[in-house]
Amino acid sequence: MMKKMCAAARAGRRLLPLLLCCGMLLTTACADGRTPDGSAPGQGGAAGTVSDNGGQAPDNQEIITLEEVPGYSGEPYIEINGNEPDFQEAGQAERKKSFERYSVLDRLGRCGEAYANVGTDLMPVEKRGRIGKVKPTGWQTVKYDFVDGKYLYNRCHLIGYQLSGENANERNLITGTRYMNVEGMLPFENMVADYVKETENHVLYRITPIYEDDNLLAEGVQMEALSVEDNGEGISYNVYVYNVQPGVTIDYKTGESSLNEERMPGPGEDDAKVEIRGNSRSKIYHCPGQAAYEEMADSKHLVIFGSEQEASEAGYRKAKR
Amino acid sequence: MIAIVCVDERNGMMFHSRRQSQDRVMREDMLRECRGRRLYMDTYSGDLFKNMSHEETEIVIVDDFARRAGDGDYCFFEKMEVERTFLTDRDESRIEAIIMYHWNRRYPADTYFPISLSDGCLSDREWKLLRMEEFRGSSHERITKEVYQRI
Repeated sequence: MMKKMCAAARAGRRLLPLLLCCGMLLTTACADGRTPDGSAPGQGGAAGTVSDNGGQAPDNQEIITLEEVPGYSGEPYIEINGNEPDFQEAGQAERKKSFERYSVLDRLGRCGEAYANVGTDLMPVEKRGRIGKVKPTGWQTVKYDFVDGKYLYNRCHLIGYQLSGENANERNLITGTRYMNVEGMLPFENMVADYVKETENHVLYRITPIYEDDNLLAEGVQMEALSVEDNGEGISYNVYVYNVQPGVTIDYKTGESSLNEERMPGPGEDDAKVEIRGNSRSKIYHCPGQAAYEEMADSKHLVIFGSEQEASEAGYRKAKR
Repeated sequence: MIAIVCVDERNGMMFHSRRQSQDRVMREDMLRECRGRRLYMDTYSGDLFKNMSHEETEIVIVDDFARRAGDGDYCFFEKMEVERTFLTDRDESRIEAIIMYHWNRRYPADTYFPISLSDGCLSDREWKLLRMEEFRGSSHERITKEVYQRI
């Protein structure tokens, strides 16, 4: 389990950028179906008060550093600090009402922390507008055939539109891979959104983009959430989501990318390839040696993949045994 | 025993020891399904039904409910008992039917429903889909209910 570092202690650390954008701001994360094409800006924040704290995190707030994050190993996120979020700084008065705060952009134009207390009064009442005019740092318009929706990058809301109604707010949009957006961030955002809608409770919610040095592209984002009225019984998590795209090598300094050659099959490789058997109904895949691998051969729901990565990119998860 | 479970798009059930989601309309539907019978659940699930009217369904809250439930009784599986019940042949064989509610959303998960009902994976038994219906929940646009019976 990775350790966290207090804001006060991180000064001088190589990965200082973590905190550069630690303003306590609320934003909205990406929604389904967003497109990265250029288009007219949409309507701004639907509800709530937008403010900033000058991009500084409170002294007692713990933030991870990249040195503490293990490299991407096939899962879109990892749990941090035992999956326990850190909202000690949130006062009682702050917990009782909805708010959203966004960090000012840093000297490189990068987004910082977005912090909110999500309530039903922050949520949008209309469909999201266009956000194509915003060009977050590291933005590149590039396509790969194997990426869902083709486009490598999405304009990723830090705090999703479905949570705060924040639309084309440049302090709330970073350049993120489709994989980070849809496989990594969206499920966590969905969980918070549906909880708030169902219970009408509040959820403290903080998204912190993590940069290395002066890189324009975030290496990932830290997502923390804690339900307020039930003291975390409903929602409580602290995860780091990787800003990666399987099969693509990314230069985080600029956002430029290239096909990961290691992923490409070499001459004769197909003959030696193992067969991964997916179940189109359950969206589970089975590897040779696993319990149901042989049974799957005759299933009417059989889908064959050339690799686990291919299955994962298609939205399948590995069988537990 | 008739098992009731809620799953997301990838058969996820829980994350960080918490249910992925909840819905009042879904719970009302569940009570209608169990009308006239016992509905067993653990204390964690019991909190969901505290303020709900259930005159026609006897709710029994006990943490080892899967052992206590008899033929025809309903069991709502969330936090407890899932793996032990569904991955143990002796207990799984007691399950007559499964009512599965699909959120039709993707949430984070670290606990999954362990049976693939559609093809018998992870089980040497077959399940038949008896009926399926969709409805709008209180906080979910579309919830799908599937009822499977052991063949």
